[in-house]
Amino acid sequence: MTEAPGARPVGGGKIPVTVLTGFLGAGKTTLLNKLVRRPEMRRTAVIINELGDIAIDHDLVKVASETMALLSNGCLCCSVRTDLQQTLRELFAGRRTGEVAEFDRVLIETTGLADPAPVIQTFSNDGLIGAHYRLDGVVTLVDAVNAAHQLQHEAEAARQAALADRLLLTKTDLADGTAADEIRRRLRVLNPRAPLRDVTLGEVEPDFVLSPGMHRAADARALERFLGIEPDARGDGKPGGEDGHAGGHSGGDKASSGAIAAGGGARYLGAHANLRHDSSIRTFSLRFGDPFRWNVFSAAVELLTALRGPDLLRLKGIVNVEGEPVVVQGVQHLFHAPVTLEQWPSDDRSTRMVFITRNIGPATVRRLFAAAADVARDEADR
Amino acid sequence: MTSFATPAAPGSRADQTLSWNMRLLAHHNLEGYGGIGEGMSLQLAADGRRILWLAHESAPKNFTGVDVTDPRRPKTVVQTDLPHARMRSNSLDVAGDIMAVAYQTSGVDIQPAGFDLFDVSRPEQPRRIAHFDCSGPHSRGVHALWFVDGKTVHLSSGAPDFKPRNPLDDQFYRIIDVRQPSRPVEVGRWWLPGTRDGDDAPPPQRLAPKFDTGFRAHNTNVFPQRPDRAYIGYIDGGAIILDIADPSRPAVVAQWRYSPPFNGFCHTVLPLFSRSLLVVSDECVQDQGADWPKLVWVLDGRVEANPIPIGTFPAPPVDAFARRGGRFGAHNLHENLPLPSSFQSDTLVVGTFFNAGVRAYDLSDPFQPREVAYYVPGAPPLSPVGAVQLNDVFVDERRVVYTVDRFAGGLYVLEMDL
Repeated sequence: MTEAPGARPVGGGKIPVTVLTGFLGAGKTTLLNKLVRRPEMRRTAVIINELGDIAIDHDLVKVASETMALLSNGCLCCSVRTDLQQTLRELFAGRRTGEVAEFDRVLIETTGLADPAPVIQTFSNDGLIGAHYRLDGVVTLVDAVNAAHQLQHEAEAARQAALADRLLLTKTDLADGTAADEIRRRLRVLNPRAPLRDVTLGEVEPDFVLSPGMHRAADARALERFLGIEPDARGDGKPGGEDGHAGGHSGGDKASSGAIAAGGGARYLGAHANLRHDSSIRTFSLRFGDPFRWNVFSAAVELLTALRGPDLLRLKGIVNVEGEPVVVQGVQHLFHAPVTLEQWPSDDRSTRMVFITRNIGPATVRRLFAAAADVARDEADR
Repeated sequence: MTSFATPAAPGSRADQTLSWNMRLLAHHNLEGYGGIGEGMSLQLAADGRRILWLAHESAPKNFTGVDVTDPRRPKTVVQTDLPHARMRSNSLDVAGDIMAVAYQTSGVDIQPAGFDLFDVSRPEQPRRIAHFDCSGPHSRGVHALWFVDGKTVHLSSGAPDFKPRNPLDDQFYRIIDVRQPSRPVEVGRWWLPGTRDGDDAPPPQRLAPKFDTGFRAHNTNVFPQRPDRAYIGYIDGGAIILDIADPSRPAVVAQWRYSPPFNGFCHTVLPLFSRSLLVVSDECVQDQGADWPKLVWVLDGRVEANPIPIGTFPAPPVDAFARRGGRFGAHNLHENLPLPSSFQSDTLVVGTFFNAGVRAYDLSDPFQPREVAYYVPGAPPLSPVGAVQLNDVFVDERRVVYTVDRFAGGLYVLEMDL
């Protein structure tokens, strides 16, 4: 109810968008075919590359045109028209005038080889879209049969897995058990914080796909889980942790080193699997006790993205900006508008950030933030 | 958008409910008398109840009190009748346990025309404690009033001794001291020079007959942040700021007159003090988009004597609404009433737009106001124009939005997802 401070949604009432990604053949179409029939998909707009890919029985369709079908469960399926931006703009404009059935969230299917970054970029670069939509999260499908090869040989596949908020492992029924376990271990190393779920024949709980992101600030646990900063996720009592590869963290850095996978149970093996196959991608978390000034924080992030944008796969966290809790998240060089929360999700007032990077270590990042703070302090002292 | 239109949604329809970031908590038809004017105020009663007071648009009802303590279950506690059908209340305000109710008649020289003060300490039994008479040979009484401090009622009103040059210019700004509630006393007045019979000033240049709605006061707002200023929507005279440090001699600080080229009817001037901004709303007064565009304006008020327009609220899509039925365009704003029961914000402004519903705007960037929420109820049953006509809005300190239909729909209670 409105009275409770912090009960209001994070993101200023913008329509949350989930990006569904995964390599060709990973099972996106199978998943979507099952998903759109579920009653939970009411008031969800699903943007699909080809409307014809979804084999919807006619008795399920309430109304349809060439580009759009409103299903009897209230799910709105639309094909991408000229481009995604145009489609999103027209959808909102149509919603506003009542020409398009109302929807409260959007699920976008990316094309097979698509890097999700350009889709995500849409929300940062297009003012009109940014005003009405916000990226809620990335869900990546990984194919248990082919992923071993893809993760090893296709940089794109590893990246898609690394920046996901949720991971879905498909075709586990077709892969042999050892191979599937191996993929799970490698995914855990690439992206230890994203919840991972097996999917057989496209059967998945809609909530797992539709709500990866931030919703209500009052739901502190969900927020911390999304940000990867929940205190007990790692089982070591520390918020987040470095992935532990290459023997742990660098000297002088406070990045914590923890187990590889919550529930994975294969810390030692996992660490070595990481070294062997995906050693360039790593996840680590940093914690800063002192509050930031916003210009210091943003200068450090800008420098990092300017110099190493392609290697900064993902950054999520909660930043203490002169006492205020500010949620930041970015994918490569793209950052969403920071969101100031009305209250801290817990008593912990420190800045906590999770980085997924390629060939950038925690010590480097920590020094960068410290240097920015020093420069600003010198300026203030003059 | 036609390419996306589906057979079930052939363009915008008045029976559709449209919403974004606003959800209906409750709807109340006000015992079948669902036509409400532009008087809404929320009393925090001594017994802990929250009573929303509503002034009706037209006879036979005067005002209705609704218990909105639980916004999901509004309950009528009292509904009163007018003495006759040639009058309306339209406007009211509550300060503490005292309520002021305006009375405007359908012609001149009809009584009662003026305002009443009621003791509403027992909301079920409002007790009249005073009547201030504004009737006269050229007066229709009070159209709108502002009463937030318990001491002064600011009016848009005629007076027995006031003869306008043009009968359309009959209501001007009057300041009434009610510190002794049983004995209201006029302490000041101001009219646009040239509009009173006998004025030295020449009459103002009128709008084209099609849009001539008079040089009259509409909303006359005075805030505790600037007790020496009155912010007045002066209909075809535009937005006016008066210095009322000496209420017996109000003096013009600024006048922003923008019609023509626009089509008149400046309704509300809402100062956002912490940001030196003014938000000015028009009122749409013609059906089917005939007086479009009726807008909400953002003015830079840093130099008080020289307010400069810097933007307008993005208007609801004209193609979808102009011919949806009834009026389409701006009207009332939630006015940051200086009351403990009132939502206060210098960045989020909520307004009603007749058939385009109630809408919320984010003014974080005053050069680019953004629409962030709306609720357009489907046409109420028995609506004479076939579409909703949201007339006024009040937002309480819990951010619950109360909005009312002009003809038939009654009260809609909404929650903002912002």
